[in-house]
Amino acid sequence: MADPDFKVWQCRTCGYIYEEALGDPSEGLQPGTRWADIPDTWICPTCGTPKSDFDMIEL
Amino acid sequence: MIPQDIANTIVDPRAYADGKRIDHAFAWLRREAPLEQAQPEGFDPFWVVTRHADILQVERQNELFHNGDRATVVTNIEADTQVRAMTGGSPHLVRSLVQMDNPDHFNYRKLTQGSFLPQNLKALEVRIREIARGFVDRMAAHGDRCDFARDVAFLYPLHVIMEVIGVPEHDEPRMLKLTQELFGSQDPELNRSGSEVTDVKSGVDTIQSVVLDFMTYFNAITDDRRANPRNDITSVIANGKIDGQPLGYLEAMSYYIIAATAGHDTTSSTTAGAFWALAENPDQFAKVKADPSLIPGLIEESIRWVTPVKHFMRTATADTELAGRKIAKGDWLLLSYPSGNRDEAVFDQPFKFDITRTPNKHVAFGYGAHICLGQHLARMEMRVLWEELFKRLDSFELDGQPKNMVANFVCGPKSVPVRFKMH
Repeated sequence: MADPDFKVWQCRTCGYIYEEALGDPSEGLQPGTRWADIPDTWICPTCGTPKSDFDMIEL
Repeated sequence: MIPQDIANTIVDPRAYADGKRIDHAFAWLRREAPLEQAQPEGFDPFWVVTRHADILQVERQNELFHNGDRATVVTNIEADTQVRAMTGGSPHLVRSLVQMDNPDHFNYRKLTQGSFLPQNLKALEVRIREIARGFVDRMAAHGDRCDFARDVAFLYPLHVIMEVIGVPEHDEPRMLKLTQELFGSQDPELNRSGSEVTDVKSGVDTIQSVVLDFMTYFNAITDDRRANPRNDITSVIANGKIDGQPLGYLEAMSYYIIAATAGHDTTSSTTAGAFWALAENPDQFAKVKADPSLIPGLIEESIRWVTPVKHFMRTATADTELAGRKIAKGDWLLLSYPSGNRDEAVFDQPFKFDITRTPNKHVAFGYGAHICLGQHLARMEMRVLWEELFKRLDSFELDGQPKNMVANFVCGPKSVPVRFKMH
């Protein structure tokens, strides 16, 4: 069962969703990777928006 | 400078209809001249950006590479002069998100962005599935043959987006015809004149008359939605405000036009192109039919494969350097999405249709701030259609030669005749 503390983040530009529980293996981010542990230089894999322009959302 | 025959091919609508001819031209460019200037006959020179990485570089830098400073679609000198004479100096007949730069682009996009986010589209899935099932039933009612492009792919995304926009069903054939007249303006089988376009002036006049027909239609809808707002995109645009003021007439009309054209035509092209590709690659159809979890992979590969938007233009706002080349302020750049999506440096065997391709970071939706607003809706529409169709489709094959539209901007297959067995 997923950790209820896992958060979901969304790119303001394109709507790409990063779920901490799922990670994004195509980006080298394993399931369970916390948002805080992703480097600040990381950019949205879909549109290139900086990490700072993501919002935490509830799905 | 790019050799003249290749330069002419890049802007030739018939080369895109041919498929192989445009693929060969861009494959040659990626190999020999990946970022070089072209000057097709009758055109101002422009840079041709063919590599995936360079397209991303340009699209990410929205302040350095503007959309609106010059034409956003490759346009010859005579047509550009005529458009500027019609508009009082602007290179654009419309002013939608595509022609805007910041701050306007950000402000106008924000108006409707929320409606197209995945979490908000979820509410539409039940209705979209109902629509998809209706089209699967209609396909079955054809018996064992249909033109998948004309009978299914053109009509299903049209119906979905018109419901989202708020256009009544009885006006859908009109919206489809206007869309095909706009994007198919160079195709004698689709354009308004029904003939080969040989005269630039009459070609531009015809496009303007199509745009005016759209504007007349949506102006009446605006009045209605201001008086009686509903839960649709038209009401959002009609009643939207930027800096406390209603949208300008041109901007509002352009917003409707882009939603009512690009909102379905690109998905239709991709859907038709996917079916064509599956018919030519029965092993891929067998895989996805046996394992529906491969449908998202089919969708991404279809989008890469078809790449329905063939290019957009950008204009450099300052002297800069790109991939080691000096770009001067005011230079015009053509971003070739089909080329980026066949870039051998990014895609293994790029000319192979492979629904298991991973990663599949195509640039068909663009990149950066101008990335396609409707990308999540497009994916959802295709996923639902394939889920519903593949449950009932036992087998299919081509029943004649498919045909592509004759166009160099937004285009895809216009006919995909198939023979099929359904239950």
